[in-house]
Amino acid sequence: MNELVVTLGWLGIYAPMALGAAASAIGCAIAGQASIGAMTETDGGYGRFVGVSAFPSTMVIYGIVIMFTLNRDVTPENAGGLFGIGILSGIALMYCGIWQGRACAAAINATKEKPEIFGLALAPAAIIEGFGVFAFVFALVISAGIS
Amino acid sequence: MSNPDAYISLICSLPGSERLFIAKQPPLSRLRLDRRLKALKPEDARVLQVLENALSWSAYDMDVTDAQAMGRCKQALKEVPQSTLRKLFMERIEMRTVIAAMRLRKRGEGAPSGAFGMGRWSRHIPANWSDPGFRLETPMPWVKEAHQLLESDDPLGLERLLLSVSQKQLKRHAARHFFDFEAVAIYVLIWNIFDRWSQSNAEDAAKRFEALAQQAMANVTDIDFEGVSA
Repeated sequence: MNELVVTLGWLGIYAPMALGAAASAIGCAIAGQASIGAMTETDGGYGRFVGVSAFPSTMVIYGIVIMFTLNRDVTPENAGGLFGIGILSGIALMYCGIWQGRACAAAINATKEKPEIFGLALAPAAIIEGFGVFAFVFALVISAGIS
Repeated sequence: MSNPDAYISLICSLPGSERLFIAKQPPLSRLRLDRRLKALKPEDARVLQVLENALSWSAYDMDVTDAQAMGRCKQALKEVPQSTLRKLFMERIEMRTVIAAMRLRKRGEGAPSGAFGMGRWSRHIPANWSDPGFRLETPMPWVKEAHQLLESDDPLGLERLLLSVSQKQLKRHAARHFFDFEAVAIYVLIWNIFDRWSQSNAEDAAKRFEALAQQAMANVTDIDFEGVSA
């Protein structure tokens, strides 16, 4: 039984990194496809599109930091906490990354027609980033209580 | 439900559908649109073709019967698996049913026995044949205006009203689809409306040009056409 609990603890340590990487990959792919499509329709501002499509890459960075914060000797006593924080923060980062990619794709699609709304169109993606930061910061805060 | 991210690149490579109606020049030709639509999966391309063929008047023979047209629509419905596309297809067919009934009534024909056309109102229309809008003003607020335009023999006005209503219906459905196949199909149907719209404008312009030319020529009796005196 203890082995299973310890395994779950290790799973919790690596989960934010793995799920964050998946989130960034999917989000960047979604927004990247949008920027490629927009480039075929517009005559300029390509760098801006590519820059926006890289927004979801922050999720993997948050995941890496959470992973290092959680990284410690796994015992049956702390494995449950590591598992809970790791898995849930990873899932939160994953959803944030995927939906941020969609928000970036919508922003790119809108700004190809109206470049003047570029800043405003990024607001939804920025708000989603804020939720990702919440998941990240509070994972760090809570992890301080695990022995 | 289709994959919500299936056609991100394709949708982003198309000019916004709003621009279609405000541009002086078409921002996207059919040739270019077809080139972009090559990115569709074969099964999606097939559904789009079925939908366009069933809704395009030019795909019907002049002597097509009601039964044949309805059979074709029913067959098309079977081949469209996406619920949104089925819904918007039926909305368009219901609109056509109402207009067909109005035209029949204007020709002096009596209420058909049994159901008429396709859709939810096929029994409601014959039952309310004598009412100008078939008592459909609540679900279809445009019927009153359509009736007035038909009675005042304004086919171009009626055509524009129907295109405008169709476009609004499509935009309503488009609000729930961003990068999936439904979004692509709705874009193409809006493009078709734009195409019809611009053609009706061209026809209008041609008619007006002809009328003006005749008016101008009426005052000139001895004009010299290619050296031959009139």
